[in-house]
Amino acid sequence: MKAAPFAYVRPTTVGDAVSELVDADGDAKVLAGGQSLVPVLAMRLARPAILVDIGAVDGLSSLRRIGDTVEIGAAVRQRRVERDDLTTSVPLLRMALPWVGHRELRSRGTVCGSLAHADPAAELPAVACCLRAELDVVGPDGARTVPALEFFIGAMTTVVGPAEVLVAARFPVADRGEGFGFAELARRHGDFALAGVATRVALDDAGAVREAVLCAFGVSDRPVRRDVTDLLTDDEAALREALEPVATALVDTAGDAHGSAGYRRRLLTVLAARELIAARRRAEEAR
Amino acid sequence: MSSAARESLDVRLTVNGNPVTLTVPARVTLADTLRDRLGLTGTHLGCEHGVCGMCTVLVDGDAARSCLLFAVQLDGAEIVTVEGLGRPDAQHPLQEAFSRHHALQCGFCTPGFLMSSYDLLADGTDIEPASLPAELSGVLCRCTGYRNIIAAVADVADAHPDGIPGPRNCGAHALADRGRAVSPGIGGVPPADGGDAAPAGDTGAHEDIRLPAGRPAATVDVASQVAAPLAEVWRVLDDVDLLARCLPGAELTERLPGDRYRGRARVAVGPIRLSFAGFAQVTERDPGAHRLHVLAHGTDAGGAQTHADIRLTAEAVGEGTTLRAQADVYLAGRIAQFGRALAGDVSRRLFEQFAEAVAAAAIAGPGSDTGASHASSRPAVAVRPMRLMGAVAAARLRALVRHVRSAVGR
Repeated sequence: MKAAPFAYVRPTTVGDAVSELVDADGDAKVLAGGQSLVPVLAMRLARPAILVDIGAVDGLSSLRRIGDTVEIGAAVRQRRVERDDLTTSVPLLRMALPWVGHRELRSRGTVCGSLAHADPAAELPAVACCLRAELDVVGPDGARTVPALEFFIGAMTTVVGPAEVLVAARFPVADRGEGFGFAELARRHGDFALAGVATRVALDDAGAVREAVLCAFGVSDRPVRRDVTDLLTDDEAALREALEPVATALVDTAGDAHGSAGYRRRLLTVLAARELIAARRRAEEAR
Repeated sequence: MSSAARESLDVRLTVNGNPVTLTVPARVTLADTLRDRLGLTGTHLGCEHGVCGMCTVLVDGDAARSCLLFAVQLDGAEIVTVEGLGRPDAQHPLQEAFSRHHALQCGFCTPGFLMSSYDLLADGTDIEPASLPAELSGVLCRCTGYRNIIAAVADVADAHPDGIPGPRNCGAHALADRGRAVSPGIGGVPPADGGDAAPAGDTGAHEDIRLPAGRPAATVDVASQVAAPLAEVWRVLDDVDLLARCLPGAELTERLPGDRYRGRARVAVGPIRLSFAGFAQVTERDPGAHRLHVLAHGTDAGGAQTHADIRLTAEAVGEGTTLRAQADVYLAGRIAQFGRALAGDVSRRLFEQFAEAVAAAAIAGPGSDTGASHASSRPAVAVRPMRLMGAVAAARLRALVRHVRSAVGR
């Protein structure tokens, strides 16, 4: 379990990081927290010629409020996001973070690293999709902003090119009358989820449901989001029943030893109904 | 900072309060650096890919898995390992609680659990006992000892609602480096000029020797009656060449300004063969009181490291002299795994041999070499290997007998 030899660079600007990636011609990996990448290297499932450590890149350690969003730089660690008062304005992020691995992993792992790694069962990509976060990507041709819903294109695959770096993610802060829910089931706390959901319910000034959204993870090759505004009811049993066809459509996995596709459909239905109702209750409280 | 694939890079760390600079290949993890380079084998390695949590240490105050970090990523970081948490004579409350609750069976996961629970309780945030299984899920125990571990952590959380005390064993220590890096024990300063042919690890010859904090691995206090007048004994002690020849296995190789010396010393105990490159500094030379105070530091190529604080006193008793040698011996690296008893036995034996050699040199008188020459010609201790190993074996046997007795007596 030792990584194969690699060259290591620790650039201090985004430009230098991109130059290193360009020079490596596809045989480089970006290293931030490394909590997903290093196991892959240790098992020699990847043998990149060079690691470009963005931990010292100027500006990527910033965590700040920009307008109605919280912007998280690519070097910002998950535990910092979990602790910083600033992120209470993005409640879904705070709800999801304790589910990300273990404390020991969140000490080093970054929010953007989790997004760029794009594990289908990871929590943060689902949060980004549920909230329609915006992701900033910089490459040799300049910078671009990608909506979260267009960012994930397959299992561990994103639109980030081999010479590009995800430099920041912006999560919208919660509005008045918005409530959220988050739950997942894993065999053991910290393991990847068999299935999980992030939910968001927005009420209008009169208290009527303006929008209800669920985003499921661990059930497909990427987080999958559905608008379920028309389905939302206060009756959990009825909601479960109404969500069954949605779950059937969303679960796109053959299942594995830990849970069949049918089990995951059932799990998703139960978790989604529970967390949509919880989100609605919280939305009422936030009016 | 950049490197080719097989090139090594410098990384500066503070480990358990000690600044250390190491040169490591990029692919070497923090866990391997701590264990293989610094001899801090308290950090265990289980899966080596971030699943089991055995290798949990504190990095800049937060628990992290040291198998998922490359040392080169951590330039400037502060690391605390389980060795920094407490000492046998000053255990951290968590260690006391683990002991009280029998929260370990084989002990392999214990360093991971200690560091993870330290991190959990350090901030003094309210911990619900019911949340402990999830909070401690980052470390695996395969002896099924979770109940007792959780009880121990809950106990400490209860006793310290505002946060637990900090690590109790961080400070100046001897950190062995098995590579060509700097030893912090002698000031932690790299050689001033590249032309210095200093032996590995002995880089700070012009610096003062700084003794490690904490308790020495062995304390020696040996008094020998020498059938020679005080003046003759002091003549031997006061003459560094002569003195060095009386030190078993030692050889003086270079004189440095300021009563400092470079030398080599070989030690052989059973299958163990150590060859120390060392540095010694006379900090007090008092002809009136016939007292000599010497600090010494040695590094073996295998990463063993020793510091010694030696006080030699000669006192006239009738026609002869009492030569008293008191020494605090500090060990780091694999040598420390000797265990305290064996290290003490070996150190004591060295000073007995030294006293015999001083007596011989003093009796032989000025201009004679013969008295002392035998001591340095062979490695220390191996001079009479049977006798020493016999003594050690006897001591162990005695301990064993005591142990058996107490077990039977119950």
